[in-house]
Amino acid sequence: MSENLFRRLRLSTPDSRLPIAVLAATLSIALLALSGIAFGHSPRELLSILISGSVGSNFALQGTLLKSIPLLLTGLSVAIAFRAGVWNIGGEGQFLAGALGAFLAARYGMIAALAASLIAGAIWASIASAMRLWRNAPEVLTTILLNFIAIHLLGYAVNGPLQEASGKYPQSDAIPMSAMLPMIGDLHAGIVLAVGAAIAAWFLLYRTSEGLRLRASGFNRSAAKWAGVNVNAQLVRAMAISGAMAGLAGGIELLGVTHRLFERFAAGYGYAGIAVALLAQLHPLGTLASAFFFGALTTGAGELQRTAGISSTVATFGQAIVILVMIVFTRRRFGQTR
Amino acid sequence: MHLSHITKNFGTNVAVDDVSLNFTQGEIVGLVGENGAGKTTLMSIAAGELTPDTGTVDYTKAGIVHQHFLLVNEFTIAENLALAMWGRDPAEVIRDSGIDLRGFHRRVADLSVGEKSKLELIKAIAGHPRFLILDEPTSVLAPAEARELFDVMRRLAADGVTVVFISHKIPEVLEVATRIVVMRRGRIVVDGGAMSAEQLAEAMVERRSRDVVTIARSIRGEAALQLDTLEVHPGEIVAIIGVAGNGQSELAANLRETLRGRVAHIPEDRARDGLIAEMTIAENIALAEPRWSPRAAARRAGELIERFDIRAQSPLQRAGSLSGGNQQKVILARELERKPEIIVAAEPTRGLDIEATRFVHDELRAAAARGAAILLITSDLDEAFALGDAIHVIYRGRLSARLTPNEAALQAPRLMAGVGSRESGVGA
Repeated sequence: MSENLFRRLRLSTPDSRLPIAVLAATLSIALLALSGIAFGHSPRELLSILISGSVGSNFALQGTLLKSIPLLLTGLSVAIAFRAGVWNIGGEGQFLAGALGAFLAARYGMIAALAASLIAGAIWASIASAMRLWRNAPEVLTTILLNFIAIHLLGYAVNGPLQEASGKYPQSDAIPMSAMLPMIGDLHAGIVLAVGAAIAAWFLLYRTSEGLRLRASGFNRSAAKWAGVNVNAQLVRAMAISGAMAGLAGGIELLGVTHRLFERFAAGYGYAGIAVALLAQLHPLGTLASAFFFGALTTGAGELQRTAGISSTVATFGQAIVILVMIVFTRRRFGQTR
Repeated sequence: MHLSHITKNFGTNVAVDDVSLNFTQGEIVGLVGENGAGKTTLMSIAAGELTPDTGTVDYTKAGIVHQHFLLVNEFTIAENLALAMWGRDPAEVIRDSGIDLRGFHRRVADLSVGEKSKLELIKAIAGHPRFLILDEPTSVLAPAEARELFDVMRRLAADGVTVVFISHKIPEVLEVATRIVVMRRGRIVVDGGAMSAEQLAEAMVERRSRDVVTIARSIRGEAALQLDTLEVHPGEIVAIIGVAGNGQSELAANLRETLRGRVAHIPEDRARDGLIAEMTIAENIALAEPRWSPRAAARRAGELIERFDIRAQSPLQRAGSLSGGNQQKVILARELERKPEIIVAAEPTRGLDIEATRFVHDELRAAAARGAAILLITSDLDEAFALGDAIHVIYRGRLSARLTPNEAALQAPRLMAGVGSRESGVGA
């Protein structure tokens, strides 16, 4: 069943890519604006708030870019895993593992903290691939369950061993200044890392033999096996890289934005990565645009809450619409159903 | 029950091609043929589960027992029967069927496959069909259970029910059927009564001519591949022939897992295992290589397209958009370019036209001349005789002794039917 869905998501021919993505994005915005009627606002009014609140001013644009950074990395994480045919729904947990890793290594400086976030995310994701290889446990379940474990692990940490010295709130102390990401203008340096990661992911997938084999395993495990590809190794590798990307997202969020850990640290970035990757049709460079779109949607939704009193969670409504449109409208390949 | 001029296509695939059949009461019809011959499709049409593209069916009350169980595993026997015939006492239904199945409060998940197939049969019989179709019913049964099934079939036939029994196992068809219908590529090729096992085996597999071609080879060395009874030397082509479903696929899959070194595999199921349809020709070919750069791969694929005469617009065309024959050439190009020491080719020319077939054969011969050890698994006897230096017959997962092509020409039909072989009759 999940195999079929996979096929659908990957199947569009190159020429059908852009129209479907634009359709999905437009439809989600349109439905979001229409839903304003239920709150006594005209769709036109909501639309203008969404736009001005996300890209209408330098300040808004900065907020959008800030949100786009973690979305870009979790989107890449999902895109790489899905390309290899692995349902990594565990971005949320890997994001938290990465943040936790970065926090623990922060005293050794920024580079160590970033490296720790990559490794921690990769390890957290690899638990799922270990269970797949050992007992054939499906990633779609194990990764999502590992999310819950990570969330509660973080909850325990900020209420216990990692709680701030004053013991007042369920949060950690701030990381040392030396570990914080430097600023580039009004943005932290994480944006360079995230864009660099997108280019690296593109290079990996389309310019290396590892990427070729990874994509082959994702498209057709059986044929890849017959062609001599070690598909299990691809699964393990894809999962580790995917986890590392989500982990890095968590690390950057900690080092560049929040500077401390607290209970609701992940804030849905891991799950939002699925929408980002699908809108990008699993292409790393497409993820750049799609992360920006969802970043804008999230920031715009924040503005909706402030000026129109509509809960900013409508952003997740937009994500859901995009996912549905992408699944429904993506073309099947060559009528082959097997 | 009459079927007249039935045709059924699945896409471009002709599953049943203008078939007419009449059935009379009380006969047991053995419907035989290789996998994909159209047996199941024809009978699904007879049972009214599929509509034919053209042709007519005079329906009677038909029951069909499918090869795959249609049972709810979490339900008990009684609950499954209740689903099929609401309101009747399951104990009575079982008693009426005359089939021995006890403990109807047991869950289906806990039953043996033999018991599950009995339950399916009870469901089918309970509707009192005048026409009963059994699709490969013995494939999961132990010999004693199969005998029990045959008794039930005979009893139903004695009551006037027409029983159609789909199978590709020759001995049991000969044992139980009163009439034998052989299908090949969607058509009926034989319809008759008593036949010998050899005649039946020959009717089932395709054979375009009886010429035996032997090609002498000079290179003989150490065995490159040895599997109990199987040896293939460098420069040699050893063919394995048999009726499909006797362990050929398992053999090929096993060799894929176990053979190490420079080994080329040409998979049997081209649609599933051959190429990655979504990727380009260049990408598919590059899968076998350690290095990958799009430009080098495209250049290389361009050369191979020329050399293997692949009809493609460009190396960047998606592999799935090529015709079957050209896809096979891409696989061949990829696999042979590994400079393999061993080649395992399963049904390398299935579905190819004459020209493409000749091309594949020439390439395999050339590879052998370069010193590759080639194992050819095929259900096409012509191919086996045209290429094979030695031939084994596979039957129920066992290989016959190594035969010369001349010996094989004499003995193959009997060995393929499992007649006169020494093996003990345990399933593959």
